[in-house]
Amino acid sequence: MTGRGSPSRFLAAVLHNGVGRYVRQLQRLQLLFSPTAADARGARQFVEETALDFARRHPDVVLYVSARSDGAPRLLAEYLNGTVREVLVTSKTSEEIAQLATKLAGQSGLDIVRIRKPFHTANPSVQGQWHPLTNKPSALTVQGPRLQPQ
Amino acid sequence: AGRRALGLEEAAALRLRDNRDLAGRGTAFSRSYLARCFEGAHPALPAEGRAALVDFLTSRELVSYVARNLAVQDLTLCSEFPVPPDVLQRTFFAVIGALLDSSGPEKAGVFVRASHFQSDTLDFFIPQLIGKDLFEIWEVINPMGLLVEELTKRNISSPEPRITRQLGVSTVLPLYFVGLYCDKKIIAEGPGETLLAAEEEAARVALRKLYGYTENRRPWDYSKPKQGLAAEKAVSSN
Repeated sequence: MTGRGSPSRFLAAVLHNGVGRYVRQLQRLQLLFSPTAADARGARQFVEETALDFARRHPDVVLYVSARSDGAPRLLAEYLNGTVREVLVTSKTSEEIAQLATKLAGQSGLDIVRIRKPFHTANPSVQGQWHPLTNKPSALTVQGPRLQPQ
Repeated sequence: AGRRALGLEEAAALRLRDNRDLAGRGTAFSRSYLARCFEGAHPALPAEGRAALVDFLTSRELVSYVARNLAVQDLTLCSEFPVPPDVLQRTFFAVIGALLDSSGPEKAGVFVRASHFQSDTLDFFIPQLIGKDLFEIWEVINPMGLLVEELTKRNISSPEPRITRQLGVSTVLPLYFVGLYCDKKIIAEGPGETLLAAEEEAARVALRKLYGYTENRRPWDYSKPKQGLAAEKAVSSN
């Protein structure tokens, strides 16, 4: 599948995050799991052991823990620009879930698609972009005096 | 149930009233603070230019876009969804107004209040100017007239336009580069499809250079809040 077949975007930051101040783009993280199901064991361990630690390390993220989900255990990440990302954590260990949560906390809410270029700038040219008439003598250039032979 | 409805309505009305006051205070302070920022950063820019920049930064589209990406939509209490842009704008300014009031006079002085607020405005509004050209924001109908005014203010003779380069004059897509010369020294050169368009573009380039709003200017300094004392005076006057 070529790049044209799947969506892509340019490298960007939400609201030029980082230019003025850096605001963590993850708004809230919801961990939904079942208190009895076997595949939610990692989630339960995460809640018991690492969740508080994670919350302390990321004070600007709100962590909700809900033990009444009927479906598979999942992490729901909501970002400042409104994107909601759901990641299933079925049969994942507590460390894996912690890693996943940290990864989600570092992401912005922009789509996870192919990034066309790994760079972006608003001012690509400092001295002025070249065009075919740069460095060509203008119609008004005054010819300088020819050096007299010594 | 009737009493409850009345109670709810009263509470809602109170909240709405607070919002309007707070929003008014927030808007007024944002505008004055941004105006001061631009005075400091681009001293050559005239008052209409600064007003155009401030109007653009406090316009409904931009403020609602900023508010939407800061999750202010989740905070607003509104009966419609998605929240309409003017409500978002009012709510965002109300938040700013509330920030203005929150650290009250009992805290460590007016400067603390001013500095918190300054850095908020600085960091969320001013990056929206990145990549924007001055004349995209400020509509100028007669750039040549404005240029002549600016040059007479600086005691420079009025510009003489000359064609510097031309390509494809007899084709359907000609390109003229018109240079503006003051005292036989070039101040700006601009391209255009017709001679008039090229002259206008050259006038705009000259204005950008005069006002110091070129694309290759020094980027905005976000390191510390600007003009803390000036903003403090504005706070006390408001």
